[in-house]
Amino acid sequence: MGDVPGEGREFRFAWRSKRQVVNDIDAELAFHLARKTEALVGKGYSLEDARREAERQFGNLEYTKQYCRDEDVRRERESRHTTMIDELKQDFIYALRALRSAPGFALVALLTLALGIGANTAIFSVVRGVLLSPLPFPNAGQVMRVWQANPGENDLRSQVSEPDYLEWVESTKRFASMGAYWYMPGGSGADLTGIGNPERIEGAYVTPGFFPTLGARAAIGRTLRDEEAVVGNDRFIVLSHGFWQRRLGSDRSIVGRALTIDGKPFTVVGVMPPEFTFPADRIDYWASLTIHGPESIGRQRGSRFLDVLGRLGPGVTPAQAQDELAAIARRISEREPDARGWSGVTVLPAREALVGDVRRPLLVLLGAVAFVLLITCVNIAGLLLARATARQSELAVRSALGAGRSRIVRQLVTESMVLASLGGVLGVMLAYAGVRALGALGAAELPRAQAIRIDGTVLAFALALSTVSGLLFGLLPALRATSRNLQGVLRAGARGMVGSTGQRLRSALVVAEVALAVVLVVGAGLAAKSFARLLSVSPGFQPANVLALRLGMAFERLGEERMPGYYEALLARIATVPGVEAVGSAKNFPLRGMGESWTAIVPGGEAGTGDREIRVPVLHTSADYFRALGIPLRSGRVFTSADRRGTPFVWVVNEAFARRYWPNENAVGKTIRLGNTPVQIVGVVGDTRQRSLTEPPEPMAHVHYLQNMRSGLSLVVRTTGEPGRYANAIREAIWSVDRDQTITSVETMSAIVGGNVSRPRLLATLLLLFGVMGLTLGALGIYGVLAYAVSQRRREIGVRVALGASPRSVLRLIVGQGMGLAVVGVIAGIAGAFALTRLMASVLYEVQATDPMTFVSVVVVLLVAALVASWLPARRALRIDPVQALRYD
Amino acid sequence: MAQSSLGLLQGTVDVLILRTLAWAPMHGYGIARWIADRSEGAFAVEDAALYQALHRLERKKLVESQWGTSEKNHRAKYYSLTAAGRRQLKTEVAELREYMGALFRVLDPA
Repeated sequence: MGDVPGEGREFRFAWRSKRQVVNDIDAELAFHLARKTEALVGKGYSLEDARREAERQFGNLEYTKQYCRDEDVRRERESRHTTMIDELKQDFIYALRALRSAPGFALVALLTLALGIGANTAIFSVVRGVLLSPLPFPNAGQVMRVWQANPGENDLRSQVSEPDYLEWVESTKRFASMGAYWYMPGGSGADLTGIGNPERIEGAYVTPGFFPTLGARAAIGRTLRDEEAVVGNDRFIVLSHGFWQRRLGSDRSIVGRALTIDGKPFTVVGVMPPEFTFPADRIDYWASLTIHGPESIGRQRGSRFLDVLGRLGPGVTPAQAQDELAAIARRISEREPDARGWSGVTVLPAREALVGDVRRPLLVLLGAVAFVLLITCVNIAGLLLARATARQSELAVRSALGAGRSRIVRQLVTESMVLASLGGVLGVMLAYAGVRALGALGAAELPRAQAIRIDGTVLAFALALSTVSGLLFGLLPALRATSRNLQGVLRAGARGMVGSTGQRLRSALVVAEVALAVVLVVGAGLAAKSFARLLSVSPGFQPANVLALRLGMAFERLGEERMPGYYEALLARIATVPGVEAVGSAKNFPLRGMGESWTAIVPGGEAGTGDREIRVPVLHTSADYFRALGIPLRSGRVFTSADRRGTPFVWVVNEAFARRYWPNENAVGKTIRLGNTPVQIVGVVGDTRQRSLTEPPEPMAHVHYLQNMRSGLSLVVRTTGEPGRYANAIREAIWSVDRDQTITSVETMSAIVGGNVSRPRLLATLLLLFGVMGLTLGALGIYGVLAYAVSQRRREIGVRVALGASPRSVLRLIVGQGMGLAVVGVIAGIAGAFALTRLMASVLYEVQATDPMTFVSVVVVLLVAALVASWLPARRALRIDPVQALRYD
Repeated sequence: MAQSSLGLLQGTVDVLILRTLAWAPMHGYGIARWIADRSEGAFAVEDAALYQALHRLERKKLVESQWGTSEKNHRAKYYSLTAAGRRQLKTEVAELREYMGALFRVLDPA
């Protein structure tokens, strides 16, 4: 600081370097020694002696220098810290004040940020829960799903027959353990009686390896022991936590007691922990597969019904395990006629198997929502840039008062960070609501939906998102605002003559915003179009006014002899309910499954030449099934009550079946063979979509229930009006036939169709929502830039008007500027969309990722939005009074 | 050390410096002389200890410093008491007084 005489505090702008500290100490001590020497000389010492004596009296000079240096350096560091914190506090208060002084800006910025961060957080919580979090098993990464594969028929994920499974278990060295289970939603349950109302409960039937392979342990009691899974000693049951809570009131003493399942006592050996719900969320119990003997589930090679799991041995990759099992499968397929063609195996990580089909749509959503946030950031950066221009005088004053560039940048970035943090907090609150809304929109039906929640990881993601956003939209305007010679601004600023480079940068931001919005809206348009296509798909039946019920038909309870009579009585009784037009039954509802897979022989020419062995899905139905669902009869007849046990076996096939095997003939009257049993085709009905709306109908056949009784039963009841109204009457009708009949589920057929499109609907709804957000933000960006430009060009416009420019030309000037930006943005956006929407191809139904109609519509929509956004500021320009504008400062 | 006739009790250097600066801001050499004069040569604070104490006190924010010019127009570092230093002096003097009183009550039984 040089020599400042007199008192006054030291006012430092910069911090002392270590070197300066050392110099100061040297100077201080040199002064002391010089005075001391002088004093000693005054006492008669020679100069030389005086110097030596002064140093001697001083004591340890070197140590003192070192000590003082350490103290000073520490002091510098400490005070630098407190100053930083002070400055940060200052900046924070300043930022809040700055936001309060611009409430319009703060509101727009906060709201858009909160929406952007909230939407991102909500979608991320879904992605994390469904795709990223490990399955709730120990070392879940080693758990694989294993399927049989028939490469020839392009069937790569088939269930496995028991003999094949047992051979795998016998020979595998690469799997540390394997397990299998039979589970069919709504199909593999049992009737629970003896406590409260009879209820159909959902169960899985497992092999001894099932629990060890998953690494699952019971929360209370234990899982099944090997010796409790053998024929004759298998009446043991493990309960799910949910069932134990719901039905048994969390009674811990249940372990060791018996429950009546399908009329037989089963001893409860354990209750699983709440997170163990494999293979389905709504599972109630697990029991040994041996409960179902060969008479109810075939154990021959062709009877593929097992889902197989394997836990990889240490260091084994899924591919190695697959190679090993495939070699075994190949040997079996060469040896066993029933396994011909089944020469392959597919091994996939269990998580992949579970969520494989939702990965792409979820990632598309995550990408789209990231675009929304990006647009938000660009938009706020634009707003901040405009504000920074308006605040240039303020910044210049601060700089004149001695604030360095980095100090001002730090202050501006702090403002952005405060904005981003507030936006983040609001965003997280929105995300909580968003996750609930997503559930209602259909996310709750995603696999692993129970793992979707906002937890620490998701909150950390939101925090990181806010920070990155704050830097993203704050840094550029801050650097930009401080790059200019601020002293010059101080002089020119009073007349509002600021450079045009800021405006150029804002224009570039708007172009970027429009381009991002185009990509987003194209994605939304494609998803919407695909969804509309899907909705227009005819399922092959009329779902309106049809009630769909699932019943558990207890073979054991009634005995095989009484089943047909009971079944006919049930259908007849429901038909008498007022308002019921037709009652049909089938083993599965359309869109809920194909039925059973049978092997049949389609005869070729004479004397058995050209016979073809085919596999065909066979659905057990009643005579009135087709009428109840509105499936049209194309030729021949449907079943009658005369087609029953003992009469010749007949099939009704669908059109796809008839077309494939008798392309140019009428299939009615043809005979096929089931082994040695001839089956006559008596009718052809319209195709129905059995698996899902997106999968085209496959050849299939129907058999009459009365010819081939089955235990699973679904009823379809066509009513005269809203089917829900008749549900109670129909239930009563069923119970009037048999008080103990369990009813598993009651739905409307429309709901089943609706459920089938819930994922595409979720995708389309969200993408449209994000598209609208992007579009709005893009339009807002154009509007902001033009409104600002108009206010900056008031004088110029005033002069033009004064010189006789027509309103038209003024309009053209402003609107032209806006449309120019929009066109550049649209071109860039279209290019981006071409590149990016390809990633959506697999989630689109019958729509090309480059669908020209969609692209053209999006361009039109965006240009219209840009026109509106330009028009409003242009109209304001028209209202400029030249006299006032010229006087205006 | 050389001139001291009384060994200084530990911690006393700090309180002596604070007391000295309560009189007026001074540089290190001035402080040493002032203490020597006031104690009539009974205490002489070792120079090394004095400067170590000054820098320690400055870090504790009990004193602050600025460069100024001495009477003879030399550049010197002047120390002055801060508000915290003034408070510290008060408590330390009070404590010292109490301590000494107790000490002498033991040493001089009435």
